[in-house]
Amino acid sequence: MASPLPYRPSNDSLSTSNPKTNGLPRLSPAASFIGRSPSGSHASFRRTSAENAMGYKQRRCKSQYPLDSTERHVEYILVASFHIDRGPIMEHQYPAAISGDESMLAELMLPDQTHVRSQDWTIFFLHKDTSGDDEDKAEGGKKTKKRKSRYRANEEAAGLPDEDLDEPSDGDSSDDEEGGEGPPLMYVLNLVNTKQDNTVRRGAVVKAMAICTRHSFLHIYKPLLLLALEDYFKSPFPETLATLYDAVNNMDLSLMPKMSILERHILQSSNTKDMFIEKFEQMIRQREEQEAEDGECPPSPKKIGRYVLPRDTHEFESKVVYHDIPIPVKIPTVIWPETVGDFSLVKLIQTFAGPHATSPQPFPIHPHLTTSGPFTHPIIVLVNAILTQKRVIFLGHNRPSGEVAEAVLAACALASGGILRGFTRHAFPYTDLTKIDDLLKVPGFIAGVTNPTFANHPEWWDIMCDLPTGRMKISSHVEPAPVTEGLLFFQQQNALLPNPTSHANSDPTGDNLFMEDILRSIYQRHGENAIRAKWRAYITKFTRVSAAFEEAVYGASNLYIIGPGEELSPDSPTGHQTDATDPTSLRGHGYVWPDEGAKQRELSASVSRIEGWRNTRSYYSYIQDIAAMYYPARPIQRPDLHHHHDRLRFLKLSHADAGAIYLALSHAVKDYAGICQLLTVAPENQAGLFYLSMGLFHPDQVVREATVDLLDRIATHSAGRHFWTHLSRFAKLGYFRVKRERDAAQSPISGAGSPTVTNPGTSFGGEPQSLVGVALGDIFNRSS
Amino acid sequence: MGGSVSKMMGKIFGTKEMRILMLGLDAAGKTTILYKLKLSNQDVTTIPTVGFNVESVTYKNVKFNVWDVGGQDKIRPLWRHYYSGTQGLIFVVDSSDTARLEEARSELHKIINDREMKDALLLVFANKQDIPGHLSPEEITQQLQLTKLKDKLWYVAPSVATDGTGIFEGLAWLSNNVKTQPTK
Repeated sequence: MASPLPYRPSNDSLSTSNPKTNGLPRLSPAASFIGRSPSGSHASFRRTSAENAMGYKQRRCKSQYPLDSTERHVEYILVASFHIDRGPIMEHQYPAAISGDESMLAELMLPDQTHVRSQDWTIFFLHKDTSGDDEDKAEGGKKTKKRKSRYRANEEAAGLPDEDLDEPSDGDSSDDEEGGEGPPLMYVLNLVNTKQDNTVRRGAVVKAMAICTRHSFLHIYKPLLLLALEDYFKSPFPETLATLYDAVNNMDLSLMPKMSILERHILQSSNTKDMFIEKFEQMIRQREEQEAEDGECPPSPKKIGRYVLPRDTHEFESKVVYHDIPIPVKIPTVIWPETVGDFSLVKLIQTFAGPHATSPQPFPIHPHLTTSGPFTHPIIVLVNAILTQKRVIFLGHNRPSGEVAEAVLAACALASGGILRGFTRHAFPYTDLTKIDDLLKVPGFIAGVTNPTFANHPEWWDIMCDLPTGRMKISSHVEPAPVTEGLLFFQQQNALLPNPTSHANSDPTGDNLFMEDILRSIYQRHGENAIRAKWRAYITKFTRVSAAFEEAVYGASNLYIIGPGEELSPDSPTGHQTDATDPTSLRGHGYVWPDEGAKQRELSASVSRIEGWRNTRSYYSYIQDIAAMYYPARPIQRPDLHHHHDRLRFLKLSHADAGAIYLALSHAVKDYAGICQLLTVAPENQAGLFYLSMGLFHPDQVVREATVDLLDRIATHSAGRHFWTHLSRFAKLGYFRVKRERDAAQSPISGAGSPTVTNPGTSFGGEPQSLVGVALGDIFNRSS
Repeated sequence: MGGSVSKMMGKIFGTKEMRILMLGLDAAGKTTILYKLKLSNQDVTTIPTVGFNVESVTYKNVKFNVWDVGGQDKIRPLWRHYYSGTQGLIFVVDSSDTARLEEARSELHKIINDREMKDALLLVFANKQDIPGHLSPEEITQQLQLTKLKDKLWYVAPSVATDGTGIFEGLAWLSNNVKTQPTK
């Protein structure tokens, strides 16, 4: 959205174009286009030379929200009111009419029972093209059908998932890897106030103000809406809307660096407050350089003076000046698809886990949903329901509509894990009876309502999640799970094997253990971020298990792109090298089970929900995402880092097998992006570099030295250095021992030292231009 | 123990639960009636209902779950979603708003002709009997063409919602007649 050019961070693009040329830094071809000043190309040339000379950071850091972007933070401001004779009406729209069904928008802005509370928040989504004059439609809008829109019509006509190609949150996440063609969603944050007023007929005024934005972090605008709506009650004119509009659009986010998928993944799963601080430093440096260069050139309109680094790189701090009052705002640096607003997974999980823990109620059995029997944890039932595209309703009678909206958004994020998509696009964070007919046309939705009449209509939903009681219900009208080919194949295959149920394993899916772990984390106050990271891991596991299932049953998987030299699992025994001279040709891919029995048990427990998922929108968009973004984002296709790192974690390997993995990793992981990729499979909350560091104690000296080289590279990597710091003292001692041994053998002069000061050139002398050198140079620069 | 006793009492004395839907044109007095039922001795001031209200009122051994749904013409099409399972309809008419009685009649007939409402009792509150120029319950009956109804148990009760006059009489009629109805 933001950039005028399709641009991929160079670490991604260079490795996609040629996955095997790791280690050679290259200037991104796009870099020269970025400079806004006429001297842009000159500047990039200078950077190149500087980089060669002194190892200056070679890539220009790009802003996620550049100053010169044509995109506005907020596109529309709306005001609606409840007219005592006519019901909900739209009063003003700024800067222009949003070109849609006004009365439907007004209805959405005035939620049910708003008359019983003085204030309420709602969130809803509009499907609107960026072009502006195209028609828009709120989800479920009455005129949706009449006005033909290509993608909406598509979906309703055929239930085709194609329209899900686009990334719903691409308005705010980096758009490098979005796979899409449809317009991004427009998010609407709405505040409604009811003021008792005896001077007016029927005693009250109900007004609502809404902000329409493509940013999924729309919650940052809450304080502004509070102020502006208050002002609007005093002066109900378009000027009040204009003031707010100008204020929010003058918010400066241009110093927020853009990050690749891998970097975002690392940042999210880390608690380190200065992870990737280098990028923020670079943004500031670039800005200062540019300002110096520009000199007499027209400078940027806002001169902020001193730029400060964020206290926590997970958030970017800025401010909105409204009526001369600076209002601080914090924008999340990492935004995943399907992450909208400031919901809390912790809160959602606790709401339904509490009653389940004190007095569990059995669910009626449904193969897609109750994957661990009638006492499946309700949160698992919910995730299963969303994955298999059921109709889910959150009901919060007598609760503010903001509360049900939050639950819906949390549920979307839960099932997405930041990986799967297509849930928010079919979510109705708040809806009411007026949209029911359109809602029922959507196959599979997640909706929030406050009207208890929904509970009386089990034909409208498959799962009803009651927020006040924390109970979940499976509808008596739920469609039974169809018997699919995959299911039959799997059962036939399995009939030959010993019956997996004979094993006394009460938790074949591992979901009970997983939920216990989640609840323990919540109890120990690990925080929202930790819980989100765990769900991400859960959904990642689900996709990998599904890929293994597809390979086992269909002979091939849509969910895994086979790397070069790799074959499907039955023919490709894990751990073999196709090319004896190339350690990176280590075979094997996908999820790792300790033994075949465990695999069969887990697959047979999950087969129904996997089959249920295989026909859904999120399944199809995931396949497209793999091809369009997840696969290209991985610079190292061979060996499968995740697979082999998992083998180190889960299996008891022989020395030879383990050694082969360490050698493969050390040979494959060389450049910046490659290290990022390795770090994503070894997150800090899963022991970090521990399993890699075990290579330091391998009996074979070659393996030990290869591990030292790998750790050297990681330790000088801007994210890896934090992982290195967290490595245990024991492992570090091992590292220095190997280092000393080698140095003693090679040259008696140089002693051991911290990896940041040892010359990494010794480890791979043939590549003086390696990124390690570059990063090292950067560290020298900063420390000097 | 306590539960089983009250269940038994319920059997003997016929405690029933009754789902009531209260509809009517906007500003007829639905919400005022609802809260007068709920909080009988208090003054009630209401503001326009955005969406709906729902309250439980126990009267003469009958627990009434009363749904009160906003009446602006634009939101009237939503009424039908509340029909299923409704045993009694309270239709509230502003007896002084003679200009809109025809509109009220047409809405009322639309409701009771719905298949899901065919077994529901019909109670009409001829409300705002305190306002000069109001019509009497008989005139309301005529204007709403209630005599034309076949196979329908109906009753028109005069009421002044703001001071509670006539409200409980209407409810008494509902509770007396629901007993004669077979409940599921």
